[in-house]
Amino acid sequence: MAAHPAAKAINTQEITDKARRDLLQLLEAVRGKKNLVLERSLAGTIGLFVKFSTLQEYGVDKVFFLENHNVDSSQRNVIFLLRGDNAKTVRTVAEQIKLVRSESKIDHEFSIIWIPRRTRVSDMVLEEHGVLGEATISELALYFVPLEQDLMSLELESSFSDLYLRKEPTSVFASATALMRLQKQYGLFPRILGKGDNAKRLADLLQRMRSEEDVNASSDPSKTYLTSFGLTPSSVVENLIIIDREVDFPTVLATQLTYQGLIDENFGISNNQIEVDTSVLGGAPAPPQQQSGTAQPPTAATKRKVPLDSSDKLYPSLRDANFATIGPTLNQTARRLQSDQQNIKQQDQSIADLRSFVSKLPSYQAEQASLKTHTGLAEEILKVTRSEVFSAMLEVQQNLLAGSDPSTVHENIEELIARDVPLKTVLRLLCLESCLSNGIRSRDLESFKRQILQAYGFQHILTLADLEKIGLLVPRESHRGYLNPIAGAAGQTATDWNAVRKSLNLWIDDVQETDPNDTAYVFSGYAPLSVRLVQCILQKSYLSGLVNTRPGSTPPTGGGWKGFEDTLTRIRGATVDVTQKGHDADASHARKTLRGSKEGPKVSVVFFLGGVTYAEIAALRFVSGQLEKSSGRRIVIGTTHVISGNRAVGAAVEKRKFVE
Amino acid sequence: MTSNNPRAGWEKIGDQFYQKVQLYESVFDADLELENYFVAGAPYGGALALWRDASKVARYRTGQSTKSTIDIYSSSGKLISNINWEKGPIKGLGWSDDEKLLVVTEDGIVHCYFGLHGDFQPFLLGHGAEEYGVVSCRFWSQGFVALLGNNTLIAVSSFDEPRPRVLAQPPEGEVHSWSLIPPAYTLSRSVEVLLAIDKTIYVVDASESEDRGLSDGPFKHISVSPNGRFAALYTEDGKVWVVGSDFQNKYSEYDSKAKTTPTQICWCGNDSVILAWEDEVHMVGPNGAAVKYYYDDQVHVVADIDGVRLITNEACEFLHKVPDPLEEIFKLGSTSAASVLVDSIELLEKKSPKADENIQRIKPNLPEAVETCIRAAGDEFNHNFQKQLLRAASFGKSVLDLYSSDEFVDMCEDLRVLNAVRDFRIGLFLSYEQYCRLTPERLIARLVNRRKYLLAIKLSDFLHLPSNKIYVHWASQKVRSSSGDDDAIRELVVERLRGKHGISFETIARAAYDEGRSHLATTLLNHEPRAGKQVPLLLNMEEDEIALNKAIESGDSDLVFFVLLQLKSKLPLATFLRTISEKPVAAALVESSARAQDQDLLKDLYYQDDRPVEGSNLLLEDAMHQPQVHAVMDKLKLAARLLTDAKDPTAIMHTRALTEATQLLKMQEAFDKEITDSSGSFLGLSINETMYRLIKSGYSKRAASVQSAFKVPEKSWWWVRLRALTAARLWGEVEEIAKSKKSPIGWEPFYNEVLGAGNTRLASSFIPKCTSLQPAERIEMWVKCGMIVKAGEEALKAKDLASLESLRDKANGQQHVEIERMLTQLRPKK
Repeated sequence: MAAHPAAKAINTQEITDKARRDLLQLLEAVRGKKNLVLERSLAGTIGLFVKFSTLQEYGVDKVFFLENHNVDSSQRNVIFLLRGDNAKTVRTVAEQIKLVRSESKIDHEFSIIWIPRRTRVSDMVLEEHGVLGEATISELALYFVPLEQDLMSLELESSFSDLYLRKEPTSVFASATALMRLQKQYGLFPRILGKGDNAKRLADLLQRMRSEEDVNASSDPSKTYLTSFGLTPSSVVENLIIIDREVDFPTVLATQLTYQGLIDENFGISNNQIEVDTSVLGGAPAPPQQQSGTAQPPTAATKRKVPLDSSDKLYPSLRDANFATIGPTLNQTARRLQSDQQNIKQQDQSIADLRSFVSKLPSYQAEQASLKTHTGLAEEILKVTRSEVFSAMLEVQQNLLAGSDPSTVHENIEELIARDVPLKTVLRLLCLESCLSNGIRSRDLESFKRQILQAYGFQHILTLADLEKIGLLVPRESHRGYLNPIAGAAGQTATDWNAVRKSLNLWIDDVQETDPNDTAYVFSGYAPLSVRLVQCILQKSYLSGLVNTRPGSTPPTGGGWKGFEDTLTRIRGATVDVTQKGHDADASHARKTLRGSKEGPKVSVVFFLGGVTYAEIAALRFVSGQLEKSSGRRIVIGTTHVISGNRAVGAAVEKRKFVE
Repeated sequence: MTSNNPRAGWEKIGDQFYQKVQLYESVFDADLELENYFVAGAPYGGALALWRDASKVARYRTGQSTKSTIDIYSSSGKLISNINWEKGPIKGLGWSDDEKLLVVTEDGIVHCYFGLHGDFQPFLLGHGAEEYGVVSCRFWSQGFVALLGNNTLIAVSSFDEPRPRVLAQPPEGEVHSWSLIPPAYTLSRSVEVLLAIDKTIYVVDASESEDRGLSDGPFKHISVSPNGRFAALYTEDGKVWVVGSDFQNKYSEYDSKAKTTPTQICWCGNDSVILAWEDEVHMVGPNGAAVKYYYDDQVHVVADIDGVRLITNEACEFLHKVPDPLEEIFKLGSTSAASVLVDSIELLEKKSPKADENIQRIKPNLPEAVETCIRAAGDEFNHNFQKQLLRAASFGKSVLDLYSSDEFVDMCEDLRVLNAVRDFRIGLFLSYEQYCRLTPERLIARLVNRRKYLLAIKLSDFLHLPSNKIYVHWASQKVRSSSGDDDAIRELVVERLRGKHGISFETIARAAYDEGRSHLATTLLNHEPRAGKQVPLLLNMEEDEIALNKAIESGDSDLVFFVLLQLKSKLPLATFLRTISEKPVAAALVESSARAQDQDLLKDLYYQDDRPVEGSNLLLEDAMHQPQVHAVMDKLKLAARLLTDAKDPTAIMHTRALTEATQLLKMQEAFDKEITDSSGSFLGLSINETMYRLIKSGYSKRAASVQSAFKVPEKSWWWVRLRALTAARLWGEVEEIAKSKKSPIGWEPFYNEVLGAGNTRLASSFIPKCTSLQPAERIEMWVKCGMIVKAGEEALKAKDLASLESLRDKANGQQHVEIERMLTQLRPKK
C-alpha cells in the first residue's frame, strides 16, 4: 500500500517508537536481571511495539501474568507493569509484593510501572497495604497504540462495558487525555464535531483540559516558552469527529461481512493477532467434521498465532474487501504466482533475468506463504458462512436492517433459539431488533426472554438484565418516541430509524460488492450510520446526491453538520459542534506562517468512543480513499478499542453456570 | 574588581593558570566566629547554611540569643533567614541542586527544608538508624548517603519522594573517611560509596561491597572529583594521591609535609585538589605542583562544579582554573587570533590603522577568534573586560560576511542576567558554566525563594520565561504575611493577578489554608481553573460535598474515586450512600468497584436506593459461587424473597424465573440419582439441554415431563427432540414422530437434520411431507438423497421440462431410462 500522506501528517510510527523508548528506559533504570509481572491484557498491547527478545536484551528474565499469582523469587528485581485505574489490580499487586517479601529470603527490589499514569487511588491502596514505600513507582504514558498507520487504539478492552453497562466515565477521561496529547503535538483541532451524549462529555472535557493545560504547561519548567501562549489551531488536522458508540449500536450488532470483519467474528482478532489451529493454516482441508450449528474448534489441536497487519503481503489488499470477493482475488493471486514460477522454469533465462528473479525471491516466497495462510482462513470462514444457521441468521439481520417489520422475523429467531445456536448470535439479533425499533413489544420480549432462559439457562437472568441496562434489549415504551416534547434540546433519547434510514440512505438495494461505490458494501446493503455521520461532514455533496435524486437540488455547503441538522435531531444523543481558536490571534497567525502557508494534506481524526468495528474501519478507509482522490484529504481513526457484536453482547453475558 | 590587569590573581601551577577572584568583601560580621561553625554551601553559588558547632566553646555575647539556629546566608553575607533548630545534634547538613537544605539528626530524622524559609518536610531514614545512630552524611546534587554507627549505609536518591534504601553491608571496622560517586557518573547508574576501612578502600553499591585491595592506608580523607572520574586520597603521612575512581591508575602524588591532618579536602574543578587547614589552603594541580594560600583566621571551603568558594569573615573568594578562552586571550605573550583581535580593539580606539592590518592578518581564523572572544566574555567576571571582549567580538564579526550573531546576542543577554544576580544585594555569584548547568529557570526559582520578585519577573520577561510561578509565590507570601481582612487580601491578589496566564490559585489557597484562613482559601479556590487541583485541598478543608462535585466536574474518575474512598472511610455508611445517591457518576463508580470487592456495600446501596431487582440479582450471582446444590437453592430462595413486594413486570418475571430455576435444579438432582450413565451430572444444564440429554440417552418420557413442567413451547420441544434423536441416531423414534400428521416446525428440518446425519433413506421419507415447498426445491431435495427417479417424478408432476432435462445428465443406468421415459411423456407430442 502506498504511504499515506495522512500518516505522514499524523505520524503513528512516532507514537510506537516513543512508547518503545519509554518502556525500555524504565526497564533500564532497574539495574540487573529482573522479572516482569504483567497484567494479562497488557501483554498483547505491549507486543505491538516491543518484541520479547528486546525485553530480554534489557535484562528481563521471566515474564509472569499478574492474574496467575505465581510470581517467584528467582530474581532480586521484580517489576510490575500494570494499568493503575483499577483498584482491584492495585490490591493484587500489593498482596503479591507482601507474599513475595514474606516467602523469599532475598531482599527484593520492587518497581511498579503504572500505565498510563500513576493514580491517587493506587497510592492510596498501596499505602493501606503498607507497601507504598517498598516500591519504586514510575509511570509509562501509554495512551494511543497504533494498530495501523491510520488506526490508533487505546486498547481499553473494558471500555464498552464501562461506558454503557456501568456508566463509568473512566474511558472518556482516558480518551480525552489521549486526544489532548495529540493536540499538544499537532495543534488544536480547529473544529470538534460529534454525536452522542458521551461525545458531548468528551468534547466538554477537551475544552476543560485545554484551559487546565494552560496552567499546567506554564507550571512545568521543562516546557519551552512557546507553550505559554497557549495551544494554537493545528495546520495538519482539519477536524475531530467523535462518534459515541451509543448512537449506533446496530452497526456493531450486525455481522460484519468484510474479510477482516469475518476473521474477527470467527477467530477474534486481538492486538492485530489471531490464534488458529495449525490445521487451518496447513492448507489441507480440515477433517470433514459435521458442524452441529456451532463452529467450535477442537480444543486439543495445536494453536498458532497469526499476525494480521500491513507487514503481510496480501492482507492489506484483502482485509477491507467484502468476503464475497475474497475467493476470486485469492484465485487470481494464486494464478499470478504460478505463472511467475512457470516463466522462470520454462524460458531460457539470461543471467540478468535470473538475478532479478532471485532478488524478488524473498518477496515472492512471503507472498506465497501469505497466500497459503489466507486461503486457509478463507476456507475456514467459508465453512461457517455456508452453514444453514449462518444464512438463517443473516436473513434475519438483513431484513431488520432494511427496515422490514420486525414481527416477520420473530419466528426465525425463535427457531434459532430452539436449534441451540450460540447465545450471542441470538442476542445480537434480538438487540438489533430492539435498537432499530426502539424496543421490542413487551409481550414478545417476555416470550423471547423465557425461551432464552429455557434454552441457555437461568443464569442468563443476569445477562438479560445487563443488556437492558446497556440499552441494547429493552421493552418498547410509549415515551421513547422520537417526537417526544420532553426530550428537548438535550438531544433525543431514541433514534427514529425509519426516518434516518431514508434521509441518510442507510440501505442500498443494488450494492456492488466487487467494485464498491458506497460504504454499504461492508454489510452487503447496510451503510453503517456511524460512517454516514462522518460522511455528513466530509462528503456532503455525495451524500445529498444519494438522497435527492431529483436534479437541480443543490448540495449543502459549509462546514460542520450543516445541511443535515434535521436528520441529526432524529438521532439520539447530543450533537457537538465546537470551533477552537488560539488565545492569541497573532501567535496562531505567526505559527501558521512559520509552518508554511501551503495547504498540506488535511487530516480528519474520527474518534470512536466505545469501540469501532473492522467493518466500519473498512468503510472509513473507503471514504478516506475517495477523499484523497478528490481533495487530498485523509481520515485517521482513533478508538478506545476494536469491538465486534460478540464482544459488545459479551459484556453482558453471564459466563458462569449453577453448580460448576 | 576594578583592577586594570586581566591577569589579576592568576597563579601558575604546573602549566596551568588558576585564578582567585574576590567576589564579595566583608562578608560576615567580625564577631561571628567562623571557626565555631559548620558551613555548607548550595551548589552553583547558592546559599550558605551555618550551624554553630555545639562541641566548641563560644564566647558569650550580649544581645545574642542563645537559641540554636541554622542561619542561611547568601555568598555576599546577607542573612536570608534563620531556622530555629531545637532537635539535637546535626549529623549531616547539605544542599540539593534546587537549594533544598537537608538536615539529618543523629536518630535518623531528615528535615528537608525547601524555599529557604523554614518550610520543611521530615522523613525517617529507618533501617536501624534510630538504633545505631547516624554518624555522618555525604550529599550529591539529588540525594545523599548516611553512614550509621554499625557501618550500614542508607541512600536517598530523591527528595520529592524519599525512599531510603540500604546499600550492601560493608565490613566492620572504623571508617577513617568516606565519600561517594553520584549515580550520574557510575557505570551502574546507582550511587557508589567509597569507604576507607583499615588500610584499604571498599566500594559499596546497592548490591555488593568490594575491597579495592589497597595497602597504603589508612586514608584520612577521600574526595571524588565533580565528574566522578578521579579520587583524591590523603594518607596518614601527609601525602595526597590522585587516582582514578576505579582505582586502576595513580595520576599524581603530593607531599603536604604537614603534621596535622587537613580539616577538609576537596576538588577545584576536575584537575586540582584543595587541602584546607584552619587558616591555610594548599592547591595541588596536576603532576603534584602546588600553591599555598595563607589566611589570618578560619577559612571555609565550599566546592562547586568548576571551582571552590573560600569563605572567611572578610571576603568570599572564588578559586578556579582560568577557563581556556580567557587563557588564550590574556596569557602573556599570547599570539592567538583572539588575542590579536582584542589587541586591535585598543588600536581601533586609538584610531590606529594597524587595527585593520591586524584583522587582515588573522582573517582566516577570524570566526574562531570571534567565538573565543564571546566565550571568554562569558567566563570573565570583570565588567570592563566583559565589555572589551564583547567589543572585540563585535568588531570581528562586523568584518565577517555571513556571520550569525545569535551566539553574540545570547551571550549579551546571559551576561546581563549574570551581572544582575551577582550584585551583592542578591549575592548569587555564578560562573557562566554554573549558569548553563543551573538553567535560567532554576535561577529564577532561586530568586523567587529569596523573595526577589521584581528582579525575577524582570528577568523572566527578559528571557521570555513564564512568570506565573513568581506571581503565585508572591501571592502565597502575601497571603501568609499580611494580616488584613480576608476580602481585602483576596481582592488585592486577584486584582494583581488578573490577566496573567496559568496562575495556580490552588497553591495560593493552600497557603491561606495552612495559615488557618479557610474562608480566604475557599474564595481563592474559586479562581482555580483546574478542578482536579481543588479537590485535595477541599478535602483537607472538610468541604466533602464540594470536593466530590469538583472531582466529578473534572471528569477524572481517579479523582472521583479518590474522594469517594476518603468519604467512605470517614462518613457513616448511610450518610455516604445519601451523598452519592444524587450523583450518577459517583454512584456508578461506587457500584462497579464494590462489585469487585465489597458486595455487602452493594447490597446496602441497592437496599437504600430501593432497587430490589438489582439486590436479587446480586444474590443470584452469589448462588453461582456456591459449590453445593442446596446452597444454590437457598440463595435462589433468598433472591426470590427480595422480590416478593415488588410489583413491576421485571420483578415478576424474575420471581418466576427464580422459582423455575430452583424447580429445575430439584428435577436435575433427581435425574442424577435415577440415571447413572457416563454422561455426567445434569446439574447446571438449561431446560433445553436437560431435555436433549434425556432424549439422547433414551429417556424421552422424562424429557416430556420436563417439557410439560416448564411449558416449553411446542416448537422448541420438537426441535430439541429432532436434534437429540438424530445426534443419537435413534431412527426408530424419528420414524415414530414422522407418523404424526403435523409438525409445528414443518418437515423440512427433519429432512435436513436426518440427511445431515447421513440417513438418506429416512430423510427422503420427509420429502413428500414438505408440501409447502416449491416443486423445484423438492426436486433438489430428492437429488440430494440420490433419488433421481423420484426427483424426475416430481418434475413430471410439475411439468418442469428444463429440470427434467438437467436431471437426465445426472442420471445413470436404469435411472437414465426412467428419466427418458418421463421426458417423452412430458414432451409435447409431435
